[in-house]
Parts: sequence; C-alpha cells; structure tokens
Amino acid sequence: MRVSLKNYTLRHLSISFLLIIAVWAVLFYAYILEEVYDNVDDGLKNQKIEILREVYRNLNTLNINEYGVNQFRIISAEGDVSFSEDNNFSREFFYMPYDDEEEPYRVLRTGFYDPEGVPYHLEIRTSTVEEDDLMLDLSTALIVLYLVLVLSLYLINEFVLRKAWGPFNVIIDNLNLYRFGKKEQLAPINTNVIEFQTLYNEIVDMWRRNEEVFNEQKLFIENASHELQTPLAVTINKLELLMEDLSLNEGQLTAIAEAKSSLMRLVGLNKSLLMLSRISNRQYSEVLSVNLNQIVHETFITYQSMIEYKEVEFQLNDKGSFVITMNPDLAEVLFANLLRNAIKYTEKGGKIIVDITDDCLRVLNSSNGSALDTEKVFNRFHKGEQDNQSNGLGLAIVKSIVDLYPFLHIMYSYTGGKHIFALRYVKS
Amino acid sequence: MKILVIEDEIELMLVVQLFLEKEHFIVETAKDYYSGLDKIANYSYDCILLDIMLPGASGMKLLTELRKMGKDDSVIIISAKDSVDDKVEGLELGADDYLAKPFHLAELLARVKSVIRRKNQQGEQVITYKNVCLFPDKRKVMIGSLEVYLNRKEYDLFYHFMVRPERLVEKTSLAEAIWGDDIDQADNLDFIYSQIKNLRKKLKESKAEVDFQAVYGVGYKLV
Repeated sequence: MRVSLKNYTLRHLSISFLLIIAVWAVLFYAYILEEVYDNVDDGLKNQKIEILREVYRNLNTLNINEYGVNQFRIISAEGDVSFSEDNNFSREFFYMPYDDEEEPYRVLRTGFYDPEGVPYHLEIRTSTVEEDDLMLDLSTALIVLYLVLVLSLYLINEFVLRKAWGPFNVIIDNLNLYRFGKKEQLAPINTNVIEFQTLYNEIVDMWRRNEEVFNEQKLFIENASHELQTPLAVTINKLELLMEDLSLNEGQLTAIAEAKSSLMRLVGLNKSLLMLSRISNRQYSEVLSVNLNQIVHETFITYQSMIEYKEVEFQLNDKGSFVITMNPDLAEVLFANLLRNAIKYTEKGGKIIVDITDDCLRVLNSSNGSALDTEKVFNRFHKGEQDNQSNGLGLAIVKSIVDLYPFLHIMYSYTGGKHIFALRYVKS
Repeated sequence: MKILVIEDEIELMLVVQLFLEKEHFIVETAKDYYSGLDKIANYSYDCILLDIMLPGASGMKLLTELRKMGKDDSVIIISAKDSVDDKVEGLELGADDYLAKPFHLAELLARVKSVIRRKNQQGEQVITYKNVCLFPDKRKVMIGSLEVYLNRKEYDLFYHFMVRPERLVEKTSLAEAIWGDDIDQADNLDFIYSQIKNLRKKLKESKAEVDFQAVYGVGYKLV
C-alpha cells in the first residue's frame, strides 16, 4: 500500500511512541513504587524508635494492644517462639471507614524487650499508596500524553513539514511539466533545506545537459538536411539536362526519369525532416491571427486539379469562422497535409468533406480501407499497408505543429466508413 | 510563370506577391537565407527576386549557391544598397538585373517580364511555333488567324511547352511550374494528363499543327 511520507512517518512514529511509552510506564511505575515504599518504610522505622522511647518513658504505652488513633499495637510475646527483633515489612489490607472498603497499609512487624526484659511484638501500620488507583492515574496520564504527542506529530507534519516539503513539490511539478526541447526555465525553489537545494541544483544541471544534447541532436538533423540539399539539387539538375538530350531513346529517358523520381522522393523526405526539425526548433515562432477558413479555401485551389482528376466530391461547409493565433505558414502546412492525406486515401469517386465551425476543423474522407491505428497514425514513418509512395511524415508534421500550440488538439477516428481528422481549439 | 520572392520585409514581400499574382504569376516566397536556399535547391523558377540583406546570410551567397547547383533561373537583385560595387558584384555572380529600393511595382513588372522574355523567348515579344503564335504580354494564343481561348491553367501549361518546343517536359516540373511548389507533395501527378487532354482537344479543334507527344511515364513534348 502506498502512503505519503507524511502519513508514513506519522504511522511509524505513533507505533514507536506507543511502545516506548508502554515500556517507560512499567519502569516508571516500578521506580515510583520502590521510592514510595522506601519512604514509607523509613517513616515506619522512625516511628518504631519514637514508640520504643515512649515505652521506656511511659510503661502504660505497653497496654496499647489495638490499632487506634496511634496506628500501632503492642502485643506480649512471652513464650512465642517466633519472636524476633528484626524489622518485617508487609503490605496488608485493613478496613477504612472513610473509603468504606479495604485499603492497603504498610505494616512493620518487629519485636522488642521492655525495661524488664519481657519480649513484645510491635506492629506499626500506615496507610499507603493505592496501587490500583496509582496505576489508573498513571495510565490515564500516559494515554493523554500519548494522544497529545500523536496529535502534535500530526499537526507538525501537517503544517511545519508541509511548508518544509513545499520546495520538493515544486521540484516534482517541474519534472512533471518538463518536456524535451522546451526552452522555458524551471520554476525556482525557495528553501533553506540543504537536501532540497541539492536535489534542485542536480536536476537543473541534468536538465541543462539534456537540453544541450537535444539541441545538438536537432541541429545535427537540420545541418545534415541542409548539406544534403545541394548535392541532391545538383544531381537532379544534371539528370534534367541529360533528359533534354534529343538522341536518347524512350527506354533511356524512362530510366533517367525513374532515377530522378527516386531522387525527388529523397528530396521530399529531406524537406519533411527539415520541416520537423524546424518546427521542434521553434523556428516558426512568429504568430498572427489566422483564419483557417481562408487557408482551407486557398489550399483547396492548389489541389483542385488533383481532386477533380480523382473524381472525388469535395464538400466544404463553413459553419463558422475558425480563427486562431498561430504561425500562418504552419497553418497552411497543417491543412495542406491533412487535405493531401485525405485525397490520397479517398478512393476514386469518393468524397471529402471539410467542416469548419468556430472551434473545430474536421476533415472527413470516405475510404475502402479500414480504420487506421489510432495510436500510431501520427507517428513518424508510420505508413498505411498498401503505401509505398509516402514517406510517412505528413501526419507526424501535423502532430508536431499541433503540439506546438497548447490550445490545439487533433484526433483521429473512423466512423461510418469515413476517416475523420478533427482539429479542435481547446480552452485551457 | 513562377516567381520566387526572397525578401525579409514581410510588408514589401506581400505587396510584391499580391501584385505579381494579379499579373497571373505563380508566386512563392521565402523570408530568410535558409528558406530561400530550400526553395532554390528544390524547385526551379522563371525569375527570382532576391534581396541582398537577409537574415542568416547574404543574398549574394544564395546567388552563388544557385549557380553552383548549375541552375540557370533568372535573378533580379532587389537591394536598398544602390552602390555601383554591389551592382557589379551581383551581376558578376550571375544576376540578370539589379533594382534599387524603393522601386515602382510597374518597373519591377517590366523588368521581370524583360528577364523572362530574354530567358524563355530569346527576347521576342511573340513566341511562334508552326502555325501557333503566343503573346505573353496579353496572354493570348492565335492559331493561324484565329484566337483560341484558354483558361488560366491551360494557358500556363501551353506557355510552358511553347517556350521549349520539341523538348521533353517532365510531369514533375510541369506540375511545379503551373500549380506551384506545394504540388510536389502530391503523390500522384496523373491529373496533369486530363489537363493535357483538354488542351489537346482545343488545339485540334482550332486546327493547330502542333500536338503533344507523350513519353510514357516521364512527360510530354510539343511537336
């Protein structure tokens, strides 16, 4: 079972306190009783001396053979073989009218000889501590102490520790909100606790190192893509020049055209990678208020010929005006990729519907295929089954654009034989 | 005809773009050195309007890169620096013209048309091939003594063939020249076929002596 550190310490400290207090109570009780009897016994011995002195002064004292106000009695011990002058202490119960019950007394039994050498038993008693009451009082006191301790612990945990652990929660939040490549600073902590300060510093260091590595990686992709561009352009250009050679026959031309088309795919891949890298490098930071309706209309014009050729019915429903603040170039790329995707996977004579409302853009296309894998559809290099032309980056680009803006959300679904991509504005 | 505007002043870029689009050019844009490099490396243009002061690196470097790739796109340098040294450097690096800022859009248009005329039409106002005459300034096509009406795409397509008769025009470059750079993302260029078919029909109806010859899987030739 998982518990918070607060409850964990509280639970263990409560149990430990219970044990410590129980052991301490037993020892304390024994010690107190020992001390009490010791005192009482000293008092009794002192009384014995006083009594003996009185007996030697006043022989009438020998006649006191009942406990009365004096709390002692003297009994003749003539002929008693058990006579001894030793002090014998015992604990006995006598009836006490005040409490109307038997109460514990400490009794000193001893013996002495009177001035004439006659042996006598002397019994002195004194009311002593009521052990059961003591135990009860002690227990009550200890239970109260224990409850106060646990309550204090709880309160200290609740208020003091909560304050002390505040920075730790900030650190946890920092880690929680942290995403690779985000240039934001970590929220600072304010604490005197060395451990938290160390933890924070270590995390900041780690974060910096990660960012550096990540940036290097991203720059590497970008630089590699840039460096590939020129040789690709040169090669394609040379092939184009070659194709203008009138002496080539159709077979040779086709071979060159195929080589060029493969190179063009490489160019496309390169461009997509560059695009992805630029998006994640935040190079499209400039934002404007963008009207998606307008972008949809403009993009449609670009692809109109393709749509018409495929005999696809294109239906555009402007049910509202979807205006968002984002980079206008990215907005174009975003919709163009969605539309291209729809055109590609719509069967000949199928239908593409684009619905625009105030906060949602939906691209629906009919298809012969089945539902795509919702989990993987936006992954890089994820391709449909019968797909050898695409580089599998179109929707990954869409996703990375959407991820740039926290208020945008995109979802894929498949209903009624239609693939649906819904881009939504979400209020945070 | 497709034109690339590489300019970091967004306002100026948009003005030029709108103006040229009204003149029936396809206009692509780039805002800095690197996006400019992406464009020139991956596409070809009839004319490139190149600003010298660009974020990233100089426009001159872009010009050098362009020529290094072996591309012969026409380039007009647009620069706020109106110094003789700059003009000389630009022209020596292979620019076709130099226009100092600020400029009149009319002058820009005239210069664009002029470099395109030089490059595509050997300086002629009229392009003639067999019994077909094409007047680029008026976007007009005459077959014999009859005018043929072509829609925008058909005209652009036909122009593209008329300036390079009897030469193979690939589907990809055709698509790019007429539909713009974004079309290269399309995975199927078969739609060009239907455009060619329409054009061919119109030409045949007007008794043109020219026709398109398909090179299977590669492109077309105007013969």
